[in-house]
Amino acid sequence: MSKPQFDREHHVKKATGIGDPQCFKGEAGTAKFKVGDKVRVKDLADIFYNRCQVYTRGVEATVAELVYESPPAEDEAWDNCDNPEWFYSLIFKQKDLWPDYPDTFANDTLETELSERWLELA
Amino acid sequence: MSSPTRQKVMRHIDIVGQLQPALHQPQHAPYPDEVNNAHYRAYTRMSHDVGGEPDVPIHFEEKQEEQWEHNTFITCEVLAWRGVWNAEERRRRQNVDVGQMQYLGLPYYGRWLLTAARILVDKQYVTVSELSDKIDEVKKRYE
Repeated sequence: MSKPQFDREHHVKKATGIGDPQCFKGEAGTAKFKVGDKVRVKDLADIFYNRCQVYTRGVEATVAELVYESPPAEDEAWDNCDNPEWFYSLIFKQKDLWPDYPDTFANDTLETELSERWLELA
Repeated sequence: MSSPTRQKVMRHIDIVGQLQPALHQPQHAPYPDEVNNAHYRAYTRMSHDVGGEPDVPIHFEEKQEEQWEHNTFITCEVLAWRGVWNAEERRRRQNVDVGQMQYLGLPYYGRWLLTAARILVDKQYVTVSELSDKIDEVKKRYE
């Protein structure tokens, strides 16, 4: 019979004594965006798995922090660590996310993290 | 902030809010021209991405986790320590691969438990035959 081979040790070898996502530091290359940049969330196809909340798609946000480098959820969900990406903490205005958000709370914001593939300069 | 993308997104959120698990709703697989783009997107969306869906408040019960729930959690963590899966693969299987009906219809740790069995079968550490035999054996203890 045919049996797939799974490497159950590659992650532990890489991350032991260092931590995850620290073990991917330096592997994502130059970050495309910097703190303060205005970005917009892309509406990429929802193929099988991602963690980009659909309510953020098409909305503009401000980069608050470059948080870490890590394999994107889309790859890591199949145990693929080959292409780490920069992750950004983003600040959205609640009024931009929700059409009915009350003017009384116009200054409310929401902060969440997305990986680089989901973002473009606004 | 209005744009064609935003209009599409808000409409999508409205549609998926109307998807519900059903015990029995006989329905033929539709002909291709009966599924438009908006409905295709709704059917294939990630079941865990519930943010923004219109819904009603739910009852929250303050209770301890049950013994089987603790056991399930430990089993899943041990599978991670042994490199069988990582946390993201576990979440993919528990929250998305199970599909909309099981995601909404099963208890939280029920999805964990089902998924722990599923990964062992998918990666061929056990066969469905072995699993089925074991379930049968354990069931008999309670007869």
